[in-house]
Amino acid sequence: MKRNLWVARIVIFLTLAFLIGPFLIIIAAALSAGSSLAFPPQGFSLRWVIAVFEVKSFRASFGLSMFLAVFGTVASLILGVPAAYAVTRYRIPFGEAVRMAVAAPIIVPGIIVGLALLRYLVIPVGMTVTLALFLAHTALVLPYSVRVVSASLENLRPDIEEAAVLLGCSRFGAFARAVLPNIRGGILAAFILGFVTSFNQVPVSLFLSGPGVRTLPIDMLAYIEMTYDPSVAALSALLAFLSIAIVFAAERFLGLSRYV
Amino acid sequence: MLTNKTEALALVLPAAVFAVAVFLIPVCILLSEAFRSDGSWSIAAYVEFFSKPLNQTVFFRTLKLGFLVTAVSAIVGYVAAFCIVGLDPTSRGRIFGLVVLPLMISPVARTYAWIVILGRTGIVNKALTGLGLTDAPVRILFTETAVFIGLLQLFMPLMIISLVSAMENLPRDAISAARVLGASWPQVFIRIILPLTREGLVIGGTLVFTGSLTAYITPAILGGAKVLMLETLLYQRVTVANDFLSASVIAMILIVMSFSTYMLLKRVAASKRGAQP
Repeated sequence: MKRNLWVARIVIFLTLAFLIGPFLIIIAAALSAGSSLAFPPQGFSLRWVIAVFEVKSFRASFGLSMFLAVFGTVASLILGVPAAYAVTRYRIPFGEAVRMAVAAPIIVPGIIVGLALLRYLVIPVGMTVTLALFLAHTALVLPYSVRVVSASLENLRPDIEEAAVLLGCSRFGAFARAVLPNIRGGILAAFILGFVTSFNQVPVSLFLSGPGVRTLPIDMLAYIEMTYDPSVAALSALLAFLSIAIVFAAERFLGLSRYV
Repeated sequence: MLTNKTEALALVLPAAVFAVAVFLIPVCILLSEAFRSDGSWSIAAYVEFFSKPLNQTVFFRTLKLGFLVTAVSAIVGYVAAFCIVGLDPTSRGRIFGLVVLPLMISPVARTYAWIVILGRTGIVNKALTGLGLTDAPVRILFTETAVFIGLLQLFMPLMIISLVSAMENLPRDAISAARVLGASWPQVFIRIILPLTREGLVIGGTLVFTGSLTAYITPAILGGAKVLMLETLLYQRVTVANDFLSASVIAMILIVMSFSTYMLLKRVAASKRGAQP
């Protein structure tokens, strides 16, 4: 049995090395003092980490990505929480069709959504690219919001709101005062999942870019094609730490994994 | 269950209308475009698309990479999941966290790392020339191999997660019993592990397969213009040639493929639920 344990350890180590190793290399390359992307790094310096903050387009696209991730997810929750409440508490006419419509953005590849919005909303109607991006990101995150909030509603017994109604609350009052505080964790989990999904999203935003309007991952892709310096490596490392910190905090304080 | 239809509709309608308006309608118009030529309905665009050798190559390459990535991640996934499930609960949780971790990191960043490893002056080439195995750097970047490796790294966590969840419910005694009764490991796998983890395999396989088919970032960074896949071909047709007919055909192919795998997934999930008492 002892031999088996060692074999298991080696297998796990190799798998993790394949999954995470490349990322450790990127971090090392980001801390290089040399001017081209290389491993092992040529000396140690923070120059590329600092350089990231000096690239003007990165600052603009980071701002746009943040805006989309925050407000797109909030919008998807405003639409998604009532929908989740309806699918878990009511017998809805055409329930299956509604579920499919809301889940569709997961099934349809993002690149197609981006192209469709560009072709039928941005070009003919003159909608701004930023608004199209906002709509696309909201649609993309909507299925996750509905699913995560539904899961947390299913864990909540309907008796509580019935009791609230019996005690004189209106239906809306019962929702606001009895249900909402109880699904707070689920809503936060949905927000974090939506934020990470939207922030890292590439295909949806691919066609939706205009002069000066680009999300951060698209900007990174464009930068990679032009230059071969370690600044994208540094940016990747910074972004990874940001998402890991968010997810870690969420897991620590909310138990994110209970909802996903 | 509440049955007030007006209330229910008022709650659901905003989300449904939003999804239909910004999503379903534009996508459907886009899909219908390839069927309309000169005012009448036809499938000429499809015939034209599939008659071009480049498009055929890209189509079959995408399918091939999808199957290969799914198959290899299933094999590695089974071995890894089996080892992870055998650990004590504390280290199992930690290792599981490390498997999930890459999913939170930007796919651009994860794919970019492979340039450092597989490039002309990358680690692999330095090792090969250092060991005297080759004189000149080997071309790995911008080949199918590079795209395959990138996709495998991107999607394997999904397979491992699904298989670990499936195997957690696997009775360990059954395996020991089969071993005591003289079954070889391949027999144990085919007759015990595989039937009992079928759902996990199908769920993981669907996620990996659709993910690989509809990948954009990996072929864009690691394949370039030489190793196009369906999504990079779509992007190229639109940006280089303004060719919306091909884009519409590719969009339909992608949707049909991911929708059918999604339906398969749903059926399996439903049969699993039905089987439970």
